[in-house]
Amino acid sequence: MTQTLPAPTLVDRYRWRVYRCAGLLALVMVTSLLLGAGDTGPWRALSTLLGQGSSEERFVLFQLRWPRTLLGLLVGAALGAAGIVLQATTRNPLAEPGMLGVSAGASLAVVIAVALGASSATVNLGVAVAGALVGCALVLLVSRVGTLGDDPVRLVLAGAAFSSLLAALTSLILLHDQRSADEIRFWVIGALAGRSGDTLLWSLPGVIGGLLLLLPAIRPLASLALGERVAAGLGHHPQLTRMWALVAVAILVGTATAAAGPIGFVGLIVPFMARRLVGPDIRRTLLPALLLGPCVLISADIISRLTVRPYELPIGVITAFIGAPILIAVVRGQRMPRL
Amino acid sequence: MKRSIPPGHWLLRSGSWSVLVDRRACLAGLTLSLALVVAGALSLASGSADIDAISAVRALFGVGEPMQVFLVRELRLERLLAGLFTGAALGIAGCLLQTLARNRLATPGVIGIDDGATAFAVASIVAVPTSLAPPALALIGAMTAAALAFGLAGGSGARGYRFIVVGIGVGAVFGALTNLMLARTDLDSANQAYPWTVGSLSARPWLAVQLLGIALLLAIPCAKGLNRALATLRFNDSVARGLGIDVARVRLLTLALTVLLTGLAVAVVGPVGLIALAAPEMARYLSGHRGVAVVNAGLAGALLMVCADWSGRTVLAPVEIPVGIVTAVIGGPYLLWILIRQPVRSTP
Repeated sequence: MTQTLPAPTLVDRYRWRVYRCAGLLALVMVTSLLLGAGDTGPWRALSTLLGQGSSEERFVLFQLRWPRTLLGLLVGAALGAAGIVLQATTRNPLAEPGMLGVSAGASLAVVIAVALGASSATVNLGVAVAGALVGCALVLLVSRVGTLGDDPVRLVLAGAAFSSLLAALTSLILLHDQRSADEIRFWVIGALAGRSGDTLLWSLPGVIGGLLLLLPAIRPLASLALGERVAAGLGHHPQLTRMWALVAVAILVGTATAAAGPIGFVGLIVPFMARRLVGPDIRRTLLPALLLGPCVLISADIISRLTVRPYELPIGVITAFIGAPILIAVVRGQRMPRL
Repeated sequence: MKRSIPPGHWLLRSGSWSVLVDRRACLAGLTLSLALVVAGALSLASGSADIDAISAVRALFGVGEPMQVFLVRELRLERLLAGLFTGAALGIAGCLLQTLARNRLATPGVIGIDDGATAFAVASIVAVPTSLAPPALALIGAMTAAALAFGLAGGSGARGYRFIVVGIGVGAVFGALTNLMLARTDLDSANQAYPWTVGSLSARPWLAVQLLGIALLLAIPCAKGLNRALATLRFNDSVARGLGIDVARVRLLTLALTVLLTGLAVAVVGPVGLIALAAPEMARYLSGHRGVAVVNAGLAGALLMVCADWSGRTVLAPVEIPVGIVTAVIGGPYLLWILIRQPVRSTP
């Protein structure tokens, strides 16, 4: 009767889990530095990290692998957070920026911009965010029409239809315009490699801005999980919350897509893992998701470097291999987790 | 005797044999066939060398300038036949699968059978470049994907949309597999396979077209024979069982037909989305929502495929838009429209 200490224990457990995620992230990042498609093996890379090594090895490590890993960190964090928020907004455990057409909207916008003659990276960023915004608006619209929003699975179907349409339009433009096809052939399949150094510079403010914009929406989103009426009764504005959160998602996904191309399934894998780890509350899942997103993306990037040496695989292929079974598992579950 | 004929039907009688013909379905079939003939003539007439529709049809029968006869008979006819066969196969497959799963969205493309067939066929192009390999492997791929989708969803019936999302997941895995293989090969084979992975009639292997034709000849009577059982399957399982239908066997046969037709069609044209979705719908609308309109779905599928291919060749000429992209651009909004309109009661 005298032992009343459950609450601090819970907090401690949560903290330890977050620490573990951070540790995992550090491990994955170091692995990403050590492994690559080229000749610099893990031992050589390790000694280079410790200060030895030829200038060539130093170039491989610090000019090729390090920016790439950092970009993975940014894009992964953006996609993970976007996945969590999108799922909370639509109250749907299957919602994912790639599958609902948000990424497809962003990439179609970039392809159109390039076809019209734009080539600077900053234009692409703005255009991608705008495209993602349109994608988000359509998600919101579709989930409001009729009974579609009440059924998680049908929303995913609508998203699949929508993104296949956008993908077809993208390939139509690429087919029509050979110049832009050559220019962005590599971008459009989604990969972390071969991005210029500037990419990091302009995607950093995008991701941080999106995350900051997200902060005020977290508490209302958590209350939205109790239902629209309860949320309204607690003094929140469900509709406003949704729109605010979707704007943040659009900025995050648009930046990630402009930087690395469309990458699917990360927004599905990460929330799934985060929920397993710390339960469904968005106030608790967001931080692990920010750490796990880069873990997933950088691991996928490592695999993509190693499987088809000396070529590289689109990251989306790897994430699809991990994400599709998770999608099936979630759908198959007798009781779909309600958000 | 007159009394026993249901309204809206014709009774054809010859000795002790008699057949009831649904008048509206029959008329719908005739309309579709007529439209198909017109579309076919247009398709034969269009191309880089200008031939008007009438001389194209004359050339088809060997009348006219030798050059035109050669062009139409040797080049364009093959493409037209490939379009007709694949369209019919996809239309019928879509009709069968929709009936089987009791869901308008359950088409081979949506639940990943197309992707499975594509992945295996690409494997055959990349690894074993013989002419027989793509159809055979596409069939195996279609079978694998169908087995996975049905197996993982735990049967087709009651779980409705979940079954479809499981299919989307299976399709995503096979799509990733296709990309993986394309990334691993040299650029030449990848370029060779690319127009074909988006669904195009420009790289049709003639042997695969012939195989598909034979399969269609076999499949249409089978599907016709299953028609009555399928019509009762549209109710729930216990009703069908009460009417004396062996539900499990009918399901298996129907699924086998679907897989056969889809696999062989994909081996010719690659994944083409809209046909299997819209053709049965069109056929049902035209034949007045009575029964399972298998033959009409095939006709409508062929019509849609020929039209899509024709417009893909003419809209942006001389650039040719692959038929798969044409159908995806039209089919996406159509799919969304179905989803939004579909009443919620069909959810489990």
